[in-house]
Amino acid sequence: MDLLAGLIQTAILAGGVLALAALGEVLAERVGVVNLGVEGLIALGAITGIATVVAVPSPTLGLILAMLVGLLAGMVFATATVIIRANQILCGLALTLMGTGVAAMVGKAYSGIPAPVTFAPIAIPFLSDLPLVGRALFTQNVLVYVIYLVLPFALHHLLFRTRHGLDLRAVGENPAAADAAGIPVTRIRFWYVSAGAALAAGAGAYLTLAFVPSWSEGVVAGRGWIAVALVIFAGYRPWTAVGAALLFGLITSLGFVGQARNWPIAAPVLSMLPYLGTIALMIVPVLAWQKVRRLMAAPAALGEPYFRDVR
Amino acid sequence: MIDFRNLSRRRFLELSGATGVALGVSGAGLMRPALAATPLAPVAEEDAVIAFGYVGPTSDEGWTWQHDQGRLAVQEAFPKAKTIFVENIPYSADAGRTFRQFVSEGANMIITNSTYGDFIYDVAKNAPETAFLHCDDRTLMDNMGVFYPSHWYPSYVTGVAAGHMSESSKLGYVASFPVPSSFAGSNAFLLGARSVKPDATIQVIAINSWFDPQASTQAARALIDNGADVLFGIMDEPGYLQVAEQRGKKAVMLNTDSRKYGPNAYVSSIMFDFRKFYVDQVRARLEGKWVPGQFLLPFGDGTDRDAWGETVPAGAAKAADEVREKILGGWNPFQGEIKDNKGEVRVPAGQSMSDNDIYNWNWSVDGSSGLA
Repeated sequence: MDLLAGLIQTAILAGGVLALAALGEVLAERVGVVNLGVEGLIALGAITGIATVVAVPSPTLGLILAMLVGLLAGMVFATATVIIRANQILCGLALTLMGTGVAAMVGKAYSGIPAPVTFAPIAIPFLSDLPLVGRALFTQNVLVYVIYLVLPFALHHLLFRTRHGLDLRAVGENPAAADAAGIPVTRIRFWYVSAGAALAAGAGAYLTLAFVPSWSEGVVAGRGWIAVALVIFAGYRPWTAVGAALLFGLITSLGFVGQARNWPIAAPVLSMLPYLGTIALMIVPVLAWQKVRRLMAAPAALGEPYFRDVR
Repeated sequence: MIDFRNLSRRRFLELSGATGVALGVSGAGLMRPALAATPLAPVAEEDAVIAFGYVGPTSDEGWTWQHDQGRLAVQEAFPKAKTIFVENIPYSADAGRTFRQFVSEGANMIITNSTYGDFIYDVAKNAPETAFLHCDDRTLMDNMGVFYPSHWYPSYVTGVAAGHMSESSKLGYVASFPVPSSFAGSNAFLLGARSVKPDATIQVIAINSWFDPQASTQAARALIDNGADVLFGIMDEPGYLQVAEQRGKKAVMLNTDSRKYGPNAYVSSIMFDFRKFYVDQVRARLEGKWVPGQFLLPFGDGTDRDAWGETVPAGAAKAADEVREKILGGWNPFQGEIKDNKGEVRVPAGQSMSDNDIYNWNWSVDGSSGLA
């Protein structure tokens, strides 16, 4: 029982990084911009978070500053991709290289310093005493609840229940038509790409202030790329993105639990599980139901810069 | 992209290890006698270039940082010589390019802190005037020696302390890959613990990386959920110590004194110190006396335990230190009868394992599960 509760608790904690970064990527891709800079943004957020709490012992401030840094980096990226209309893939890769590089450079002074304060787990009275699920679901840090409940709810509502959400989805599907309808394509793209970058950097702060409470070069370890992949898998939807991140966290943790329990499976196979699982889950529903294929489709104008004069 | 640099270090060493044995470098002895090679010509200190190739960043607070301390010591001992280094060298053709670059910059000696297999052999074959020191490898060449710390002795000593401290008699080990270093570390730790608690067991989880704080953290959580109360591992970062601290358990670390990450959980660390070894090797090279060999940094001189953590009971520390003194006095703790985890006797009673046996350890002792 302890093992199962621990498994779910760890899965939720580990999936948080992916969930937050994936939510940010959902925003960017919904308005038609592929941001491959997530890995770099997480690194920037991670180092900003730790640097902040070393100076001022407030994890909340660390998170806010990390998101601000992410917003600024996102604005640079958006300027290049949305206003100047440079190639999104190349700019994204540049952002990743720049982000990891800057973080590594700044991080030299901070590597080896444990976060003096972190988002500590909060046990919710009564609920946390429930058997099995109590420890897993109700003794998490406050960010976990925000990432898994508040944010996806807010983003889903924004995207699918408001007029503004319709506008921004239109920008991602057909910017020319949206433009003709009077929707400010460039402005919407610019700000949502930047906001998405802020969320990705927030995932970095979550990493160093809640999950692995210290900075070391390479701490992101490729999770940014996985977040990008999860968005595609999740059909560009907030709830499914969060669910996919949780599933990924669960399968990863399951690999470790499998080793701890001596399941007769080779360790490399257990490490492969998350990736195999993702591939399987991407393929199976699409093969099974034609309808899912349409629902999971990418925004039509994804990756295409919008030029008003050539529409 | 994801595990690119993690692929590099020591991952393929079993392969290269097998090659080494096949080439006929099997045998015995702590310091393998050098090949019958003629020493390379001496080099004047002001002309000397000593190059270091690192698998990780020097800021990793662990393995690479420790090697870089060695480089700084060389620079201090030979102020007129030039030391150069490159960080984050992956196990790929990039490694070959980096080492070739070192040679073309006039490097008289190249020291790596990881294995690079053919990528470095090819360079060494074409640079007979350059001496190579290849970490954790098993292939000797006319101009290439190998070296590694004999980390199994302090692992055994801290295992004794763990045996005293563990209440559940269950230990946990965060391994990288199923390579000899992981086998030697977890086996020695368990044998040490079993000298105190004969029913102790160790559970190993391999995370397929030398450096992945997110994975090592998850592995540590799974081990603790499974009942382990003292953790050990072969990570280049302190992730599992932080988990132990949060969960009120204990952890033995590797490379550096990392007690600041978990002052209550910290038991000790397997400490490496390459400074003296590097300075000696470089001096031999400059004086024209360097010959390749298999160098294992001995216990007490480059490999040792760190000062005990503040929550280690005095009794446990004392018992472990008595064992440490015994080993320093020449006692070999790896004595038969040792069974593997399938029940087969691998070291019969009356025999003991040599350093070379341990350096190539590729089976788990009785009571260890998870690696193989």
